[in-house]
Amino acid sequence: MISYAIRRTLYMLPLLLIISLFSFALLQLMPGNYVSRMKMNPQFDQKTIQAMEEYYGLDKPFMTQYWFWIRGIVLRGNFGISFATGLPVFYTLFMGDRLLWTLIISLTTMLFTWLSAIPIGIYSATHQYKLSDHTFTFFGFLGLSIPNFFFALVLLWILVAGFDVGKYGLGVGGLFDNRFIGTPWTLAKVGNLLWHIWPAWLVIGTSGMAGLMRYMRGNLLDTLALPYVRTARSKGLTEHVVVYKHAVRNAINPLVSMLGMSLPGLVSGSLVAAIILNLPTVERAFWTALLDQDQYVIMGGILFFTLFLLIGNLLADFLLAAVDPRIRYD
Amino acid sequence: MKKFVLIVASLVLVFSTFVTVVGQGYTKEPADAKIITLGVAGTAYASLHPGVRGGTFYASSISGPKKWNDVTAHETSTTMCTGMMLRGLTTLNPITLAIEPELAKSWDVSKDGLTITFHLRQGIKWSDGQPFTADDVIFTYNDLYLNKDVKTDTRDVLQLPDKSFPVVTKVDDYTVKVTTAVVFRPILASLAANILPKHALAQDVHKLNPKVPAGNFNTTWGLSTPPSELVGMGPYIVSSYTPDQNIVMVRNPYYYHYDSNGTQLPYFDKYVILIVASQDVSLLKFQNGELDALGIRATDVPILMPQAARKHYNVLVKPDVPNYGTTWVGINQDIGLKEGTHTDLRALFRNLAFRKAIAYSIDKQTIIKNLFNGLGVPQWSPVSYLSPFFAGRDSYGGPVTEKDAVIFPYDLKKAASLLDSIGIVDTNGDGWRDYKDGKTVEITLTTNSGNTLREGECLIISNDLRKIGLKVTFTPVAFNTLVNQLFSSTGEMILLGLTGGPEPNNGANVYRSSGGLHFWHYSGKTDPTEVEKQVDQLLKEGVSTLDNNKAFAIYKKYQLLLASQDLGLVYLVNGSFTYAYYDKVGNAGVSSPVSTPSANGGITDICYFK
Repeated sequence: MISYAIRRTLYMLPLLLIISLFSFALLQLMPGNYVSRMKMNPQFDQKTIQAMEEYYGLDKPFMTQYWFWIRGIVLRGNFGISFATGLPVFYTLFMGDRLLWTLIISLTTMLFTWLSAIPIGIYSATHQYKLSDHTFTFFGFLGLSIPNFFFALVLLWILVAGFDVGKYGLGVGGLFDNRFIGTPWTLAKVGNLLWHIWPAWLVIGTSGMAGLMRYMRGNLLDTLALPYVRTARSKGLTEHVVVYKHAVRNAINPLVSMLGMSLPGLVSGSLVAAIILNLPTVERAFWTALLDQDQYVIMGGILFFTLFLLIGNLLADFLLAAVDPRIRYD
Repeated sequence: MKKFVLIVASLVLVFSTFVTVVGQGYTKEPADAKIITLGVAGTAYASLHPGVRGGTFYASSISGPKKWNDVTAHETSTTMCTGMMLRGLTTLNPITLAIEPELAKSWDVSKDGLTITFHLRQGIKWSDGQPFTADDVIFTYNDLYLNKDVKTDTRDVLQLPDKSFPVVTKVDDYTVKVTTAVVFRPILASLAANILPKHALAQDVHKLNPKVPAGNFNTTWGLSTPPSELVGMGPYIVSSYTPDQNIVMVRNPYYYHYDSNGTQLPYFDKYVILIVASQDVSLLKFQNGELDALGIRATDVPILMPQAARKHYNVLVKPDVPNYGTTWVGINQDIGLKEGTHTDLRALFRNLAFRKAIAYSIDKQTIIKNLFNGLGVPQWSPVSYLSPFFAGRDSYGGPVTEKDAVIFPYDLKKAASLLDSIGIVDTNGDGWRDYKDGKTVEITLTTNSGNTLREGECLIISNDLRKIGLKVTFTPVAFNTLVNQLFSSTGEMILLGLTGGPEPNNGANVYRSSGGLHFWHYSGKTDPTEVEKQVDQLLKEGVSTLDNNKAFAIYKKYQLLLASQDLGLVYLVNGSFTYAYYDKVGNAGVSSPVSTPSANGGITDICYFK
């Protein structure tokens, strides 16, 4: 088990290297660079722009730039400096509590998704083809099909135009009302956070709910059709015990490995919602870097997201093996 | 490990609350305080009112600052904050747009126009209570702006036409002399550049402190600097910054502006900028009462208008006050010159009659009506409508009458006959106009993708040009691709915009035949046309007189010449300046509290809560 974990972790290194090379190459294919935008400013002398390109090393060939970057990481643990802020890339990406907020928002959203999708999946399976099953499925797919940005905007608009929440001193978007930003934690502040975070749960959560719900429904239906469930029923057990004690436990197993797979989604996958709902996430900082073509911040972000993806896959493998005794590490 | 340390460091940064250490303020009004004559008849501020102190004002910005260093900043998200913390020797009056004293209380210009002696305000202090003196001015110019070790855009602004720089010397503690090698009229505007505190920054400059590495100043006052270390002269000082959430600025107790009642400005205790990534959400936040004022788009006006009275806010639309800057279709007269291709197209683009035909085909009224909700003005000059030098005015800063305007009214018949007159006609009956050899004229019109306003303009224009038989194809491309096309002279017709301001010479880099942004005819550098030679001459004359009325006459000639005889850029329309504010904000009705048509900070320091 331990040697398997070590081996898998070591495999990650060449993979990260290859991914970084490809990403760096893709970045070079993007037209222009960090200083391109300044070129259109009439106040700038073109010589200043050239000097800036040299200063940032953007005039060097692609492989040279890549080599300097990798060498910095290996020799000095230096992942580069952000052109825009002049600070180390990870500082620029994680500044503020971005990393913490990203994890809080994602974890609570995931909790919301699972806690609502699993019971609904069970309910749908036990009420197959009834009106309630169709209704849940309909809303599940509605959530999946509405684009996040549109859903988020409509939700905020309803709060403002429909409920006029400003009248009660409540704000929309962001994590807190104006008066709570940067103040010490109090109970009122926590309450305010809850008021601001539920739209994020709803917007981001509903997009993943339909899939999970259908998985649970399908798995449970398969399980309910197995002979051992018939045996349990014929023993005279109540329907409640049959479903929850015998069927659900087995039906939920395959979903466990999905938990690991959803790890990368914790740090990425909610960009659009983060922009509309104005959430301070790592992804938003990454997106800003993409807009600015802040090269090394983009690379730092890619490495970070890749690492999460790889760890997520590893975790999924472990979890799968943990719940399914037929899988061996070798 | 390093990553872990960085993560921990960034978490610590946010959890610790920074409180700016600011001094106690003046015990009495300094003798040299700058008096803002609010409500005083006969002054620029006559229609405004002295206010009362107190309250927190909420504004919004689409992105946060990238650093706190005003000298090395390039982006408005940074300068909107640093601009509130700092002040320059001179400034542009927000109402009249005239240059007026700021940190300098007055100045004398020598007879030859080469030396300006600035008399600085005495007894005023930095936000930490340290006195402001000539040393700060000398430090800012000689050790920062004119120091090659410092990466700053301001150096380009200070550069004189002969490529030299002004020489700034100290006469005494409160007198500074600025000498230029040639007479340069815009120098007073250039000297509005912000002054920085020597006592707080000198140790970070390699030139003054060789112990710090070269280039050290470029990363000084970065976002990792606690706001408590920042020192300024402006109305507000940053007190805390929460990334992606807000910037809190507090009143500078040593601000030297007082109103006519003797009340120290600014009126607001705090000025908070919420960072809101989406303009649509800013609009919702304004409607929800979370923002006190907001710069809005023409398309937001009909959304806000119906609720205005009920929700107690105002939507201010000034149809005759357009934003600064220009939008145009550039016709590349050097297309294929380097590659030896596009001979026919190049000859066509170089024909003035063709460029006039394009100008006649642009339906500015439809563009204004459909894309700007009727809120915009047609544009015809390279100089911004609001500039005192705009040729539509009668005199320097006079009323806009458009008496001499060179306007090409929308007239497709005239455009078609102009094309006929130069032999561009449909010879083979396929509906498209052809060159003399029978080959169809094909033109690509480009703009940056994602800008819906520009894409809409391109669609209207290409549609009209196709109506007169020109086979124009519209293809939007990424902004940077477009910039590459401009600089490599590979684009055909490009629709884009440039920023502008009151000073016409700021466009010199664009309109001078050797200018770095003269992208529609780069070959003008070695082989200028007669019109370009005249334009170059007028630009030179415009800066070498200190008499604004003389300069106006020169720039008027320059604008009429470009609009009627050059047409390298065919101008489109300019959206009106619109903003919304709540009734409770006093003094907001004359000028915007949050931004001006030039996108600079608004008149926040003289607004108040009623």
